Amino acid sequence: MLLAVTAVPTPGYGVLAALLIFIAASVWLGTLAQKAMEKQDFMQGFFLGNRGLGAWTLALTATVQSGGTFMGFPSLVYSFGWIVAVWIGSYMVVPLTGFAVVGKRLAQLSRQTNAVTVPDLLRVRFDDSRVGLLASILIMLFLSFTMFAQFKAGATIMQHAWPGSGILALSEDYDTPVAKDATATGESIESANRTWKQALRELLPLSPKYYIGLIVFSITVVGYTLIGGFLASVWTDLFQSVMMVIGVMLLVCLAVPMAGGMEQASRAAIAATSADIAMGPGYSTAGREFLTPGLALSMFFVWVFAGFASPASMVRVMAAQNTEVMRKSIFLLSAYNCLIYIPLVMTCIAARSLLPDLGKRSDEVIPQLSLLVTRDFPYHTGEFVSGLILAAPFGAIMASVSCFVLVIASGLVEDIYAKLINPKATEAQLRRATTVSMVAVGLIAVLANLNPPQYLQALVVLSGSAGAATFIAPVIMACYWRRATATGALTGMLGGFLVYFAIYSCGWAQNWATAHRSAELAKTIIEFLGEDPMIGAAGLFRPYYILGVDPIIWGLLASIFGGIVGSLVSPPPAPELVKRFFDIRPASA
Amino acid sequence: MAVPNEHPLLAPARREAVAALLIWFLTTVYCVGYCCLYGYGRDPKTLTFVLGFPDWIFWGIVVPWGVCTVISGLFAFCFMKDADLEN
Repeated sequence: MLLAVTAVPTPGYGVLAALLIFIAASVWLGTLAQKAMEKQDFMQGFFLGNRGLGAWTLALTATVQSGGTFMGFPSLVYSFGWIVAVWIGSYMVVPLTGFAVVGKRLAQLSRQTNAVTVPDLLRVRFDDSRVGLLASILIMLFLSFTMFAQFKAGATIMQHAWPGSGILALSEDYDTPVAKDATATGESIESANRTWKQALRELLPLSPKYYIGLIVFSITVVGYTLIGGFLASVWTDLFQSVMMVIGVMLLVCLAVPMAGGMEQASRAAIAATSADIAMGPGYSTAGREFLTPGLALSMFFVWVFAGFASPASMVRVMAAQNTEVMRKSIFLLSAYNCLIYIPLVMTCIAARSLLPDLGKRSDEVIPQLSLLVTRDFPYHTGEFVSGLILAAPFGAIMASVSCFVLVIASGLVEDIYAKLINPKATEAQLRRATTVSMVAVGLIAVLANLNPPQYLQALVVLSGSAGAATFIAPVIMACYWRRATATGALTGMLGGFLVYFAIYSCGWAQNWATAHRSAELAKTIIEFLGEDPMIGAAGLFRPYYILGVDPIIWGLLASIFGGIVGSLVSPPPAPELVKRFFDIRPASA
Repeated sequence: MAVPNEHPLLAPARREAVAALLIWFLTTVYCVGYCCLYGYGRDPKTLTFVLGFPDWIFWGIVVPWGVCTVISGLFAFCFMKDADLEN
């Protein structure tokens, strides 16, 4: 029986209670982590958890794209249909490539170099401080964009979880409603008579609930990361990953039968939209082709290479306890991905028939669906259960932010302060520098989000893929190529980054020109770059598609080409350096 | 070609890296190839469902996903070797 749903319950205190439980649990995990790490060296303990990650923590925290799993992804399925299963399809091999391509060797190199960060590892491996400095700057640049967006997402969720808010969008790109009193009403305010209230409104134009959420979120995340360091970050990540799989299992088991079964749900979705929702390149009302074959191919590069070459993932692999842990993690993560992605696609296809009228509010699909499928639970338990389901993405955002704060702080402390400013820093000074840098990162993130720019999500995608395009060649070269040189690592990093960024910039220029056709400059740009090809998701920050594929492919090729050519045209590395990292060490006397 | 005195971790690590990339390559060719052949530009009237999934999603994504999970297990427990990380 197909259920026609019109009235969906609104969030009550259960949702807020679930978020508060998550916050309390995270702080508790932070204190546990502090006890676990204080037994050993501060830098190794705080930033790498004493290299003691077990199979579960490594598997469920290293390559899981946690924040977006419950946010943007369900929205895409709801909007474009079954094609999104192809879009996410490469996750079937991400566990394998994530640990088997460079994992073992990276973990060994990080021990041989005693490195705490990826730039530190590259600097010692290539014996060149420029490599470390460039890697550090690029990592901080990429992660800052991602982290700022996650702060906004966390604050937005807290704002919308407030009882009676009426909306439950989880995407950070949701147009945060402006407070009712944010625009001048009633008596007009003379421009010459600006009051402090108006100045405050201009500075803080969003709802007060947003700012309360931002402050609570920031203090919580920076606080528990400061208390427990790396272990606090991964344990929270593990906690939310477990919550997420429970949430997905609950949703799929409740939503699919409610929609009359999977086939019925698909047929209902086709009837409500068109056959495109069950075919490639996906359903669209705007005339765009969401996933052309070229873009489908691209996605099999994006997730795989971003999975093992992103700085945040590499740090987790460096912290693995041993190779047995890595092997087990491959299998655990494979099983986990099986339980998350296909069921999530099924759930959101079912949502098409259960919640046919979401329209542009497709970001609300998971929260709305969880409220809907639990609404008949006895004794109002449904609200709390749906609250727990909704708390999973909030926990995911907290875990992501915690990881980014940690990686950026480790870059500032280890790669900048300890290497360049104060090489003889004592442990007390390093602790102080860590505290100052983490608080500073949190404060900057709060300031950047007082009046957050739109389209941050697009910058997140950009910085994630740019990280892969930048580091793939230098990291593989560092792991396996004896002839690789510091020049090769530099040209590999710069080549990947510049090509990727240049292609993206062309996309922005093309978008701008399309929106301002009458301008002379716009005409010239369109003449040079061509018309919008109408492929991929819509958005101001979509890239330029050379030959119809994502820029990551060109970035990867440039990185590999730059790395190989740069190495071959420069003098070979010192034999002692190669021997140190590639050959058997003589038995110590 | 084996390099004299090379650390014993390297040869298996290289082999595993190549094998993992090969599996990724084959998966990409099969999944993208199958889905493009049977999921794009097709007459919607010919669409059938297998276990509730559109046929091309079932054979192009769901089945390979299951196969990859099994292969990952075999890779992890039968193919990949443990090594000393020099703690």
